[in-house]
Formats: sequence, C-alpha cells, structure tokens
Amino acid sequence: MNKRVTGFLGFINKLEDWFLILTLAVMVILAIAQIFFRNIFGEGVVWIDPLLRVLVLWVAIAGAVVATRNDNHIRIDFFTRYVSKKYIKYLQRSVYAFCIFICGLIAYHAVRFVQMDYEYNTIAFANVPAWLTELVIPIGFFMIALRYLLLFISPPEQENR
Amino acid sequence: MLGGILLVALIIMGVPLFVIIATSALLGFSSIDVDLSVIAIEIYRIVDTPILLAIPLFTLAGYVLGESKASERLVLLTDALLGWMPGGLAIVSLFACAFFTALTGASGATIIALGAILYPAMKQAGYEERFNLGLITSSGSLGLLFPPSIALILYGVIVQQMGIGVPVAIDDLFLAGLLPGLLMLLMLTVYSIYKSHQRPEIRRTPFSWPKLFKALRSSMWEIPMPFILIGGIYSGFFAISEAAAVAVMYVLIVEVVILREVAFNKLPEIMRDSMVLVGGVLVILGVSLASTNYLIDTEVPNRLFEFIRSHIDSKLTFLMLLNIFLLLLGMILDVFSALVIIVPLLLPIAIGYDIHPIHLGIIFLANMQIGYFTPPVGMNLFIASYRFHKPVTELYHATIPFMFILMAAVLVITYWPELTMYLVNNKN
Repeated sequence: MNKRVTGFLGFINKLEDWFLILTLAVMVILAIAQIFFRNIFGEGVVWIDPLLRVLVLWVAIAGAVVATRNDNHIRIDFFTRYVSKKYIKYLQRSVYAFCIFICGLIAYHAVRFVQMDYEYNTIAFANVPAWLTELVIPIGFFMIALRYLLLFISPPEQENR
Repeated sequence: MLGGILLVALIIMGVPLFVIIATSALLGFSSIDVDLSVIAIEIYRIVDTPILLAIPLFTLAGYVLGESKASERLVLLTDALLGWMPGGLAIVSLFACAFFTALTGASGATIIALGAILYPAMKQAGYEERFNLGLITSSGSLGLLFPPSIALILYGVIVQQMGIGVPVAIDDLFLAGLLPGLLMLLMLTVYSIYKSHQRPEIRRTPFSWPKLFKALRSSMWEIPMPFILIGGIYSGFFAISEAAAVAVMYVLIVEVVILREVAFNKLPEIMRDSMVLVGGVLVILGVSLASTNYLIDTEVPNRLFEFIRSHIDSKLTFLMLLNIFLLLLGMILDVFSALVIIVPLLLPIAIGYDIHPIHLGIIFLANMQIGYFTPPVGMNLFIASYRFHKPVTELYHATIPFMFILMAAVLVITYWPELTMYLVNNKN
C-alpha cells in the first residue's frame, strides 16, 4: 500500500479509537454525576438517563467497529482450524465478502430507518431528534463493511493453527 | 429449510456470529414480507434497556483492576487467611481466582493476572505439576456465578426482553448464583485437601496475625469494594447500573489516583480494549433482538416445545438432556454468544417444563463455566497454554479431574433447585 493510503488509514484508526474512548468517558462521567445529583439534590437530571442509554448503543457500535479492524469478532473457529494453508485465503475471502454484503445491507436499511425518523421529526428525548441518536447505526455498519473490504483485500495470517 | 442449511454452512465457514444472526433475521423477515429496516429498528432497541449500562461500566472497572497490582494483593490476603490449611495454597488459588473472575468478568484475565503469581508459587510449594496446571486453568472461569458477573447480567437482560411474565431481576440472579457458586468452590476445596494429603512434602504457611494484618493493610483499598457494591445493591441504595458506575469511580480513584498503579495516560488504551469486548458482545445482542423477535412472531419456540414435549415427558429427562446439550454448546461457543443465541429458544421450553427462569440461568452458566476449559476449544485452555508455555494437550489431561468435579456440582445444581432459589425466596 502506498504511503498516502496507510496515512489515511492511521487517521481513521485514531478517529474510531477516540470516538469510542470519548463516548465511554462521557458515559462514565454522566453516570457518576447522576448518582451525585440523585443523592444530593434528591432527584436526577432528566436528560441524563435517556442520554446514557443512547451512549450505550454508541459504545456498542463503535466497539464493534474497532473489533472488526483486527477481525476480532466472536465466531466458531472450530472447523476452520482444519483447513489447510493452501485454501485458507480463499475461505477467508469468501467469509469477508459475505460480511461486506450483510453489513452493507444493514447499513442501507439503517439509512432508510434514520431517514424515516428524520422526515417524521421523531424526538428521542428532550429536544434531541431521534435521527441524530440513530445515525451511529448506518455509519457504524458502513465502517464495519469497509473494514471487511480491507480485510478482503489483504486477509490477515491466521494464528493458533 | 434452505435457509437453515445456509446458516449451518456459514457457521462452519467461521463467519462472525453477529453476521450469521443478522442473516437469519434478514432471511426470516423477508420471508414474511416485513420491511427490512426492521433490523435497524431492533438494533436501536438496545436503547430501551437501561440495565445494559452496567455491562460497559463493570467491564471497564474490571479491566482497570486487571491492570493494577490488585491481583497480587488479593493472593497475599487469601494466603494470610487460608494458607495454614492442608492444601492451603491450592485453596488460596481457588478463592482468589473466583473472586478475581467475578470482579473482572470471565474473559481470561484471571489466568493471565493470577496465574503468573499462583503457578510458580504452587510449584515451589511442592504441588504436582498436573494438579497445579489443572487447578489454575479450571479456576479461570470459577467466578461466573458470583456478582457482578456480566454473564448473569446479560442473561437477565435477554429474559427481560422476552417479556415472559415471570419477573427476573438482576439482583435476584446475583443472589441465586451465590450458593451454587459456593458449592463449586467447596467441592474443589475438598478435592484440593485430598490431593495435598497424598503429598506430605507440600509446604504450608503457618497462620500468623502480623502477616494477616499486613495483608489486610496492603489491600485496605480494595476490601471495601465488594461490600460497598453488594451492600449498596441489596439495601436498595443504588440500582445495578449505578453500582457499576460506583465501581468505575472507586477503581479509578484507588488504582489511578491513590495507589497510582495504573498510569493516567494508559487509560485510553484500557478503555478501548475493554470496549472491543463489549462491542463484540452487544452487537450480537443487537442483531439477535431482531432474530428473536422473528422467532417469537413465527412461534418457533412454541413449536419447538411441542416437538420436544411429544418425545420427552419427564422434567428429569429434559434436565438431563439440557445438561448434555449445554456442555456440548459450551465446548464450541463462548458464554456470551451462547446466551444470546440459545436462551430465547430455550426459555419458553424450560418454562413449559416448569423450570424457573432464574434456575435455568444458573444451570446455563454453570454448564458454560465448564465449557471454558473443555477440549477441544475451551478458551481458557488456549490462554493457559499460551501463558504457561505448555502444549494444549497437556492441559486437556490436567483439567479432566476438575471437569468431573464441576460436572458433579452441575448435577446437584440442576436437580436441587432449592439450592439456587433459597436465597431468592428468603431475601427478607
């Protein structure tokens, strides 16, 4: 790969990492703050709880995106252990191709879902529009599909065999 | 039918589970002409489950704790408390591992963190190599039934999602896991004492008050933690997800600010690594909300129940088959994916056989715990093999006695529901 591409990928890696880390940091701070509010002022801040639940979704999707980078998703690798070195690349490529297709499909339908809530002006909580909180799903699955495309182009060496 | 064959083929090919589950949901919904944007709608339902907040928070707390030297202090403390007993160091290992696994989630961290201290210590004290390896490998999943087990939380979430009418509160699940978990610890303790009797040359450390006092002092910051969490939850002072937030805050203050064992600038990396695990599990949960919804819409669990009912009529036979099935499942699947995939199918059937959902959860996890070190693919076997530089086959042999002991424990847990339900039914 040429320098510009690796540089760009490094940038994307950092971007994904920091989105994940900052979302989690905000989640931790708000969750702790809410306990103080509840116990000192007698009641919590209204918008923190729904926001926290949205942040769980964001952390989940962002974590899944980062997990895809090194092909770290949970799978049953019991059978593929016995595939010989000669054929493993073909198998990996077909698996990745399938993942690209399915994740792309999810991303596409998620875009439609977000679009619908955008058009109907659905509100998630307080004044926050629902489409904004949902946006992480299409973007996330698009990134996952993109990661699988990179894995498809250069499948990693399989360990533990 | 064709869809089923496709899914099996995908599993064998090693396609990531979240993709397979998403595929099954997409196939299912398109076969009954439901708009496929339903998959995104279902994933978004993660937002409707407040308790899920506890999972990233407890995982983060566990990862930070795993990076600190808390594991060493824990061994010092249990050694000062239990080291004088026959088989003392083995018992220390069991208790320390169970405790540490409960705090950090059964992600293999126990073997890495505690194994490094316990394995050489037991070797030096004169324990047989095979016993030593087997003990540490099988203890790596021993805390799965103790609070704040992330697996138990996930089970509770899945059951709540299904809306079966029987309330299953997470704190009840925590209570339910205590006695079965202690039973497992007790049986392994008895075995360790028996084993150490066979080797009189094993050294014991005499009990001493100054030593205990010193150990207590060195762990003075960690000791209050379980009491704060468990006390807080059961006094109703805070909810489970609040307890998780308290755990994160407490661990950060102690390990980063007071003891300074975890450098502040290492936190982003720890946060990222812990969330890779969480993301992997929650994305499976998200897509399985969709597939479960399809299964329930088309009454698959009910039909499955009718089918099984027509072949098995006694509860005892069903439970026996359930144990065999779960043990096999535990061999090829990790506990989180197994929960998400199997519980939605299994729960309605188990309820049909008059098994309480809480009891089912404990049976499920008790079996899965054995799966962590069952050949050929138990995750902890590979972690231990990597950690102690031993071939996996040697670990297969080493863990066999422990496997049989825990299987016996599982049988007791399965056929004696009162053990599980006692604390839940008598909590006031």
